[in-house]
Amino acid sequence: MKKNIQICLGSLLLVLGSIFTACGPEARLDMVGMFAGTSPKIDERFEESKVYNDQHGFTTLQAPVEDYRVYVCTDTHVTKTQTRWTYFIDTYRHDPLCPVAVHLGDIIDAQNYFDEMYSAYQAVPLNPAKKDTLMAVAGNHDIYFKQWPEYIKYFKTCYYYFIVETPSGKKDLFVVYDSADGTVGSKQLQWLRETLEWADKQDFRHIVACTHTHFFKRDGSQGHTSNYTQEETYALLNLFTQHGVDMVWSGHDHSREITQVKDMTCIVVDSMKDEDKKPFYMLVTMGEKIDYEFVSVADIQK
Amino acid sequence: MKKIFFILAFGFGLFAPMAMAQVQPGDTTYSVSLHVGYGHNLTYGSYANFDIDAYLPINKHFDMQASVRTSTANFYTAGVQLRPKFVLPVGELYLEDRLMMRWVNRDSFRDFVHAFSVGYKMQYVNVQVGMSNRIITPLPYTNRSEDEMILEPFDAVYRVEAFVRPQTSPWNISLCLSNMDNYQVERMWQPMFYLGGWYDINEHWRVRLSGKMKLAGMFHLNAHYYGAELRAGAEYRF
Repeated sequence: MKKNIQICLGSLLLVLGSIFTACGPEARLDMVGMFAGTSPKIDERFEESKVYNDQHGFTTLQAPVEDYRVYVCTDTHVTKTQTRWTYFIDTYRHDPLCPVAVHLGDIIDAQNYFDEMYSAYQAVPLNPAKKDTLMAVAGNHDIYFKQWPEYIKYFKTCYYYFIVETPSGKKDLFVVYDSADGTVGSKQLQWLRETLEWADKQDFRHIVACTHTHFFKRDGSQGHTSNYTQEETYALLNLFTQHGVDMVWSGHDHSREITQVKDMTCIVVDSMKDEDKKPFYMLVTMGEKIDYEFVSVADIQK
Repeated sequence: MKKIFFILAFGFGLFAPMAMAQVQPGDTTYSVSLHVGYGHNLTYGSYANFDIDAYLPINKHFDMQASVRTSTANFYTAGVQLRPKFVLPVGELYLEDRLMMRWVNRDSFRDFVHAFSVGYKMQYVNVQVGMSNRIITPLPYTNRSEDEMILEPFDAVYRVEAFVRPQTSPWNISLCLSNMDNYQVERMWQPMFYLGGWYDINEHWRVRLSGKMKLAGMFHLNAHYYGAELRAGAEYRF
């Protein structure tokens, strides 16, 4: 009997120790968030972002050429090292054909790394010869551990669109939406509907949707990360295919996956984490067609 | 190739458990149940479901269940479960083969799932674990549809259910964690929580009440409410 009690108490201490380690100040994974998210819900984040969007509107960028380039990366998971993150910034800043780069979420790994991420971003020298912009969307790692206030401090809003206009006046629309909870929520879904209905009436050359969470689970690369619910998967796919979205770019999986859904191409981009053995970013050429290639950064090591 | 895979998966799913079971004329209780449900989620808003289930215990080694759901949210599900069973000194071991088609007409997609699992049933607990695969097809079905099928070849299914009283009791309450039920098989990292109970009015009639909760993003480690369903109905045992 005494031995059984000792075993039970020992097991309890082990479990409590594990939970403390998993949730403590140096933890990487927000285990509390597994049952009750510690950042505001998506509809609350939407409302907070709406205030910013209503005040500042959305951006139109000028492309330097007709066939311009967009650099896309995801899942940099910045911690105390930021080698590939800074390499990515330096690379797109020195490409004269690139007016914009996109980060698809999980820019940092866990709590307390936003400062490192931003310091590294600022430390990369600006290219005086050109103007460019980095667009970002929140991933789950960016907002768990109550990190939403910090995210919003740096990135201002969780949903928006931006337009890139070429010298001849052709316009491409990029719709960026928040899926860091594994759901887009009801208000953001309505905004996506309204935005794409508005886009139908414009003369956009291409429409691209950018977010963190991907649609499908087609192989074992995904590990223990969730997708959207089934209901939302089909609702979003239908919305996007009905309104002529050409591509959906996402991350989260850390492993490339390209899926054709009707006339739309869904691309999951590889991760750019410093520790990963097969890191890539995606280089997209936006012309009459959208061409893309994946560029390895495996040689870029700390 | 996809068509061949589809045919093989369907064929295996339908006939393998039948081959494993020793089918004999049934001598146990058949039942039919009708349920209505109210649901809410962040994508559909509010909706109502109407479910019909038929339980067909062919004999003590094999049973089948067929389920149909229609919904005001404009999706429809039809599924069949085939279960060879093996009575053990303690509890019952069973295999379950589940085939389910879900027509999500509102979003123009069709979802076919095949799940094969092994389960162990005791008086107070049911545990079930297995694997599933899924074929997603855009609708309407056309000549292009075969090339447009999206295959999710490997996923896991699981179900852990605990009862407050033995399962043979005339009333009971249960708590369940699973990524599947008779009308939906979710991906493995999308668990659903169930709380339910039944009460036997007499030897033929049983009433049931259950609730289901779905969180989004549990394995994003950033879980929030996604949807819930409340379901009530009656079962008639012949």
